[in-house]
Amino acid sequence: MIKGIWVEGPVKKGVLDFLNGLLAEKKIKAVLMPAKNKGGDSYAWFLMGKDRLLESADPVPPVMTTQGANVVSYLTKKGPVWEKTAVLLRPCEYRAVIELAKIKQVDLTNLVLISFDCPGAYPLEKYVNGDPEELDESFEVCLGGVVELDGPRNVCAICHRFTGTGADIEIGLMGGEGKGFWLVPGSKQGEELLDGAVGSESDNIDVREKAISDRTIARETKRNNTLDSFQETVMGPENLLNTLSACINCHNCSRVCPICFCRECYFDSKALSSEADNMLQRAQRKSGLRLPPDLLLFHLGRMSHMSVSCVSCGACEDACPANVPVSMLFALAGRNTQAVFDYEPGRRLDEAIPHTVFKFEELKDFETPYIKEYSKV
Amino acid sequence: MANNETDIKIVAFLCNWCTFTAADLAGTSRLKYAPNIRIVKVMCSSRIEPVFILKVLLDGADGVFIGGCAPGDCHYSKGNFYARRKVALAKTLAKSAGLDSERIRLSWIPASEGPRFAHVVNEFTAHIKELGDNPARREVYI
Repeated sequence: MIKGIWVEGPVKKGVLDFLNGLLAEKKIKAVLMPAKNKGGDSYAWFLMGKDRLLESADPVPPVMTTQGANVVSYLTKKGPVWEKTAVLLRPCEYRAVIELAKIKQVDLTNLVLISFDCPGAYPLEKYVNGDPEELDESFEVCLGGVVELDGPRNVCAICHRFTGTGADIEIGLMGGEGKGFWLVPGSKQGEELLDGAVGSESDNIDVREKAISDRTIARETKRNNTLDSFQETVMGPENLLNTLSACINCHNCSRVCPICFCRECYFDSKALSSEADNMLQRAQRKSGLRLPPDLLLFHLGRMSHMSVSCVSCGACEDACPANVPVSMLFALAGRNTQAVFDYEPGRRLDEAIPHTVFKFEELKDFETPYIKEYSKV
Repeated sequence: MANNETDIKIVAFLCNWCTFTAADLAGTSRLKYAPNIRIVKVMCSSRIEPVFILKVLLDGADGVFIGGCAPGDCHYSKGNFYARRKVALAKTLAKSAGLDSERIRLSWIPASEGPRFAHVVNEFTAHIKELGDNPARREVYI
């Protein structure tokens, strides 16, 4: 397999040219990627298929509006796409697509997944309310991987999986210093598509690998330290409730979460509703009951559903109207639960989701083992 | 409040085929055990979702007990292995949230072992008594 193709020149234009080339050669029939809205103040996803991409298409947008995995899931809800379609995803979106493919919410048939070295993203609120042009400009500077993004979202600042490892084609930006980028194949399909791409056989790709490993080490330390100190502030029902106290029970975090795929959510269902009498009893028992009840149960319960697959994309926090640091909470819960099962979401398609498999001998710390003899009472 | 022994409340989810039958056997053998558990019978221990466990704790029960067939003896051949994974998840989440994961226990009790059931229940009740009242019981903002 070739190691990569170096394409010199402006990054975004180069990527668009590459995709336009694939479209022109009929190697792919359509491209699903974000593009600027008509108003120019935000981004949305577009399926572009005619013969050229939209003028406003942007392979590396500075914000994450809709989580890409949700878009791909929507596209393939009623079956696979019929013709080869390229999808441009942030690394976290790519990992969410893989998680969704495992639970059959995404059909990967005929999809070409393309990802890139992600510099992070601005909080949606900051971008929509700020000056898009100015933010676009400062974002562009960070593409080469030399400068860290100024004021990214909380989860982006501690993201340690910022490359699209595993995708069919990786767009290598790290180490390119903005002068160009690498096209790196990650699968046989990707290699076929790269065959004949404009660019030079790369001999400088170790620069990228070095830049990636350096940043990964730095980010891993930062992530662990940040999450550790965050855990200190939320440990215990009291602190946790303080953190969540602004929550208005809108369930937006679950609606935008790519991993929360259920058509009908358990926490929106009748399963947890009870008669007024029941709530009155609870209120009397503890001299007061917050309504709607089960605030903590919603968040903890949701964690039990999605935390092992949480890719730390931060869509939840972008959608939270009350500025609850949900993305950090879920990143923390995810780190802890994923460690128990030695699982990393989106790492490989053939790695089964933890609660669908088991080993005969495992998790001894969580059970009281069955021993033949026990002391008589 | 719960200094009185009978005030301790433990919710027990028992699998129909082993632990519940063991509880039945303990009863018919007239074994005496701590009266603090409230039994919910389920067909298999893997029916117990982490959400159930967390709800029980957040609603103020002092302990949650999950009983299943011994590994390898599951009536559905592998249900209890899934149950173990689910309990591990619930315990980890409880721990990350600063809830006391010691209040959750998963034990394997075969159908023929009534005395073991009585023993385990007594032991767990004593353990919960040591831990004391579940603070969530009186927490308004939950």
